[in-house]
Formats: sequence, C-alpha cells, structure tokens
Amino acid sequence: MSPSDDLLRNHFDEVTGLLYLERQLDESRAREVRAHIASCAACGQLLNALESESVWLKEALTTDEESIPARVITVPEKKGTHWGWITAFGLCAAGLYTVWNGLVAPAFAQASQAGFSQGNLFTMLFFQGAFWRGWDTMRNMTELLAATTLTGVAIWLLRKQWQRFTAITFVMGALVCALSVTPVARAADLEHGDPSYTLPAGQEIKTDLIVVANRVRIDGDVDGDLIVMSQSVVVDGHVKGDILGFGQELRVNGPVDGNVRAWSQAISLNSTVGRNVMAFGGVLELADKATVGGTMTLAAGTTNLDGRVVGDLLVFSGDIDINGFLGHDAAIRADRLTIGSNAEIVGQTKYEGRRQPDIAAGAKLGSPIQITIPKRGPDYTRMSYYWHRVLLWGASFLFGLLLLLLLPGFFADAVQATKRVGPAMGFGVLFLFATPIVAIIACITIVGLGIGITTFLLYAIALYSAPIFVGSWLGEQLLGAEVGLGPTIGRLALGLAILRALTMVPFAGALIAIIVVVWGLGALVLTLHRKMGPHVAGTA
Amino acid sequence: MDRQKTTGAMSEADLAQMLSQVRTGDSEAWGELYRQYAPAIFRFCRRLLPAREDAEDATTEIFVKVRQKIGTYDSSRPFTAWLYKVASNHCWDMLRRRRIRQDLETGDLEALPLEHPDPGQLERLQKEHTGKEVRAGLARLPDRARMALVLRYFAEMSYEEIADTLGVRRAFVGALLLRARHQLRDQLSGGSARTVAAKPAGGRKQ
Repeated sequence: MSPSDDLLRNHFDEVTGLLYLERQLDESRAREVRAHIASCAACGQLLNALESESVWLKEALTTDEESIPARVITVPEKKGTHWGWITAFGLCAAGLYTVWNGLVAPAFAQASQAGFSQGNLFTMLFFQGAFWRGWDTMRNMTELLAATTLTGVAIWLLRKQWQRFTAITFVMGALVCALSVTPVARAADLEHGDPSYTLPAGQEIKTDLIVVANRVRIDGDVDGDLIVMSQSVVVDGHVKGDILGFGQELRVNGPVDGNVRAWSQAISLNSTVGRNVMAFGGVLELADKATVGGTMTLAAGTTNLDGRVVGDLLVFSGDIDINGFLGHDAAIRADRLTIGSNAEIVGQTKYEGRRQPDIAAGAKLGSPIQITIPKRGPDYTRMSYYWHRVLLWGASFLFGLLLLLLLPGFFADAVQATKRVGPAMGFGVLFLFATPIVAIIACITIVGLGIGITTFLLYAIALYSAPIFVGSWLGEQLLGAEVGLGPTIGRLALGLAILRALTMVPFAGALIAIIVVVWGLGALVLTLHRKMGPHVAGTA
Repeated sequence: MDRQKTTGAMSEADLAQMLSQVRTGDSEAWGELYRQYAPAIFRFCRRLLPAREDAEDATTEIFVKVRQKIGTYDSSRPFTAWLYKVASNHCWDMLRRRRIRQDLETGDLEALPLEHPDPGQLERLQKEHTGKEVRAGLARLPDRARMALVLRYFAEMSYEEIADTLGVRRAFVGALLLRARHQLRDQLSGGSARTVAAKPAGGRKQ
C-alpha cells in the first residue's frame, strides 16, 4: 500500500494540516495532503477552518486600539540622557549634602550635646541598648508582636507580586534596618507587680531590673539599669545604671549613676543624676538639691529647674522657670520663660518664644540672652518672605525635575492619575491619615522600628512630591499636553509656581495647600497601586 | 499581511539609505528610524509582556540594543526580521527572568488531542469573539504559547526564527503553534473547545 493510498483512507492530523497551510511540509508530503483533501470533505473543512483561524489571529494581533505612549514616540536622545543622568546625580548628591548638613549633622550634634556620644541615631532611639538588655526574658511578648507585624507588612507588600523586586527590596531593607539596630541581649530580672511592686530597702538587685506593675517603689539598690512601666514610680534607692521609665508619675529621690530617660505625666528629680537626663512629660521638676552631671534634654508642658545642671540644657516647653544653676549653654524654645533671682547661667542662653522672657534682677547670666520672638503669620511687606517662597518653589521644582529624569514613566503616570480626581482625593485622605498611624504602630513593636522609620521617611517624601504631580497637571491644563522633555519641564515649572502663589493667599492658601497635598498623594498612591498590582498582558 | 504592515511603509531603497546613515552615527537618521519602527515594536512588546509599563521599558531597551548592534545587521536580510529577532530575544529574556519557563516540549506534544477539531465549532468561535477578547485570551496563555503565536502571526517570523528564539527544535514549532491555538481556543470557550472535537468518518490520525 502506497503512502498516498494510506492518506486517502486515513485523515491527516491537525498538525499536518497546519504545516501544510503554512507551507512547512516538503513537496512530496504536501502533494499527498493535496491529493487527500481533493477527495475528503472533512479534511478540506478542517483546512478551511484552520486557515480562517490564522487570518482571525493575525487580525486580532495586529489591530491597534491602544495609543502609543508619548514616552515611546519621543526619540531617546543619547546625549540628553547622558547629561540628564549627570544632572540627576549631581542634584541628588547636592540634596543629600544639604539634608546632611542642614538636618542630620545638627541633629547628631544636638544628640551629642544631650549625651548620646556614640552619634548613632538608632542607638539613641534604643537608649543606648538599655531597653534590650532584658531581651531574653521579654522575648515572648516582643517577638510575637514583632513577628506578627513584620509578617503582616510583608504579606501586604508582596501579596500580589512576589517577583516585584522593589517590594522585596523594601521589606528586606526594613528587616536589615530592624536587625541592625537590635543590640546583643543580656539577662535581666523581670518582675510583674501584683498589682504593685516594692524592692525593699536593704535589698540589692545584681543585674538589670525590669518592672511592670500598677505602682512601683524602689527602696533598695539596683546594680544595673532600672526599666519600669507603671502608673506611679518612686525610686528612693540607689540605681547604678540608667533609669528608663514609662508611666504617669516618676519620682526619683535616690542617686542615679547613669542616665535618666523618662516618659511620664509628671517627673520629679530630687537627687543626683550622674549623667544625662532626657524627659518628655507634662510637668517636670528639678528640685533645688538635685544635680544633673551631664546635659538635660526636655520636652514638657511646664518645667521648673531649681537644681544644678552641669552640662547643656535643651528645652521645648510651654512654661519654663529657671531658678537654679546651669553650668553650660541653654537653648530654650517656650511660650514663656522666667529666670528667677537665684538663677545662674554660665554659658550662652538662646531663647525663642512668643513673649519676652521675664528675668529677675538678681539672676546671673554669663552673657545677654539671645531672644527671638517670631512673628506669627507671613509678613507680606518683607521681600525676604517672597524670596523664601521663590526658594521653596525652586526646591520643589528641582525635586520634580529629579523625579522626571529618574522616573519618567512613573512621573507621567502619576500626572495622569491626578486626572482621576475623585479616587485620588479619596485615597489621598485615607493615606494622609492612615500612613502615620501604621508607622507609629510599627515603631511601637520595636523590631518594626526600621519599617516604621522607613515608612515615615517615605511618607514625608510622598507629601513633598504631591504638589509636583498636581502642578504638572495644572501646567498641562494651561499649556497643553505637548510631548517632549522641554514642554514637560515647562508645565512643571509653571504649575508649581501657580500653586506656590495660590498658597500665599491669606486663609484660603492653607486650604489650597491641604487639597493639593491630598490630591497629589492620592495620585501617587493610585500610581503605586497600578505599578505593584497584578497585570494582565497586552489586551489592547 | 506582511511585516511592513506592522512597521509602517518604507521603500527598501529609503530604508537601506537610512540604515547606512545610522551606521555612520547620523542622529537624525536614527531618530527617523526610531520613529518609524518604535510604535510597531511597542505593540509587539505589548502583546508579549504583562504590563504596558513593561512594554514601554522594553521598547526603549530594545532600541538601545539595536543602536549598539546595528553594525552586526546583515543587510542581505530584511531589516524588520532582524529587528523583531532582537525584540523577541529581549522579551523572551525578560519573561524567562520572571518565571520558570516551560521546557517540557514533549509534554506539549502529548497534550495535543487526537481528534480533528469541529470546523463548525472553530468558525463559531471566530465569529463570537472580538479581537479584544482574543488579545485578552492571549494574555492569559503560558509565556511560550503566547510568544509562539505573536512571533508567527504578528511578527511573521519563520519557523526557523521561532525555533531559534524560543530555543526549541524546528520540527517542534508546528506542534507548539497548534498547542498554543488549542490553549487559546480553550481560553475563549471556557474549556469547552476540547470537548467538542469531532472525529471525521473513518478517521484516525496519521
């Protein structure tokens, strides 16, 4: 039986049909197929159906319903890109230098003045590792909370796109930050009050002491750090390390060899603190017999300083009364400053507040107080005000330019997203309030601190960049949507200038600024969601 | 349809002149070449890659490669074929980086149904579904199946070029294309296409 006879009796398969149609069969084979279809209606129909399917596929694939993006239409300029990158890197370096010199370095300097000599911000946040010395015994509580938070954040970020490098980078970066700030664990004595805890006089704890109770009284000595969370804490004994206190009331009557860090409604220091004091509270008192061997950093509603402070003083307070001895400089920002007749300030005093300070005649000051009374609200009569606005516009424009050069696709998408006003405003409001809350929750879980701080930084960047997208949209409304780098920069510059001018309008300006931030933030969120969300391939 | 249809009309003489100018570093000629072919390459990438942004990025990157490699282009071959080859290699690399490729060639062959499809059913499928639905169905296909269909029916590549791009044997390309068609039919018909396959009278496949 010849192959031809075989073909005539048996139908060819679909692959052979397709190969025949696409002229992929050799000539002898093609001849056999031709001979078969001449006498077989079923195979002829199959070939017709396959052929029409080919045409159908070609038409579907080559039909253009989707516009070509402006970015693709624009010819990439080799030289322009080169200089664009150099400019972008230059601006970025300049920005980092400015941020470092303007913000980070002064912050470190202040931290150093306040006794954080390591100059490590994370270490400062962890109070020089004191909090973590009790890790071994506290791990059940903190580990669970931290692991839950990290897992939740990781799942949220990676829920749709595990392969998205940016999300993984973000999470891993946050993890690295979180892990890098975790100091080595040490053992500690952990006490839970039921409901109160008292360390009797004459007893000594030979390690760090961590106490959680309704009321805490420390009459004995602690040969280590005292970490306490309580409504009321009274320390009459000798603490040879640091005190780290959280609670409603903290009263320290016994000597402390190390530092005191406190977050309390009322803080009272009546003894000698060997090193530095950092306190956040409603009312803070340094009694006349009390001495602080290092510096004091305070943020309080009301502050009374009757005792001695050997080092510098840095205060943010509502009211502050100074009637004691300050051995170094003082930097005070307060609503009201009173310097009593018994006060002695050896170094320079800088005061910034809404009212003139009240200085008693007998007060001894090393040098005249530098007083700054800031005027409330903008002073439209001064040129410096307008110059400042121009500088702000310039900074915003440069940042926008940086975004445009580094992330042109993202920039264009974000500007497009501003056109969806309703969703943008909705998401903007949501994220404006939700983001800091989430960041604070992350920070509370300690190990999530890296994520929390990162979130705050990204939040700040997002808020700053929000007007850029709205400004570009505004520029597009006024100048048109001409394609190209030049027109885009022009739209950005004009839009930002108009927005900056609008925010200068008394009363309405603040409202406009808020709307712009909410709108731009929402557009940013929409764009990020689109970028990170699941995608369906070319369904143009 | 020929390749020129997807890339825009330009006479061979004009194209040859433009390419020789591009080779000498003429920026204006390069710009013209880009404007001429970038939209088609973007559409090509759009058919293959998961997102519009990916297609935009890929288009830019492909033309960077084209500019770097223009010296290696053999002018005896059609320029569009070479261009699509560069583009398809780039897109295939992108897809490979993102997920594990399906390398089981025989698996695809074995999955082919033995019976002829019902021609009437095929015609109904073509009538009932718009081009947009076809493209949506295509987007849901496995990478290699989608790639095969786009290379063949959009870029009009030869079987040799498809085999080379996808790293498969040339003899396997027909089966790959047919398998991709079956998968697309299944996508569009919700899986019912396979069940309506008709067996021609007296037929068993060869």
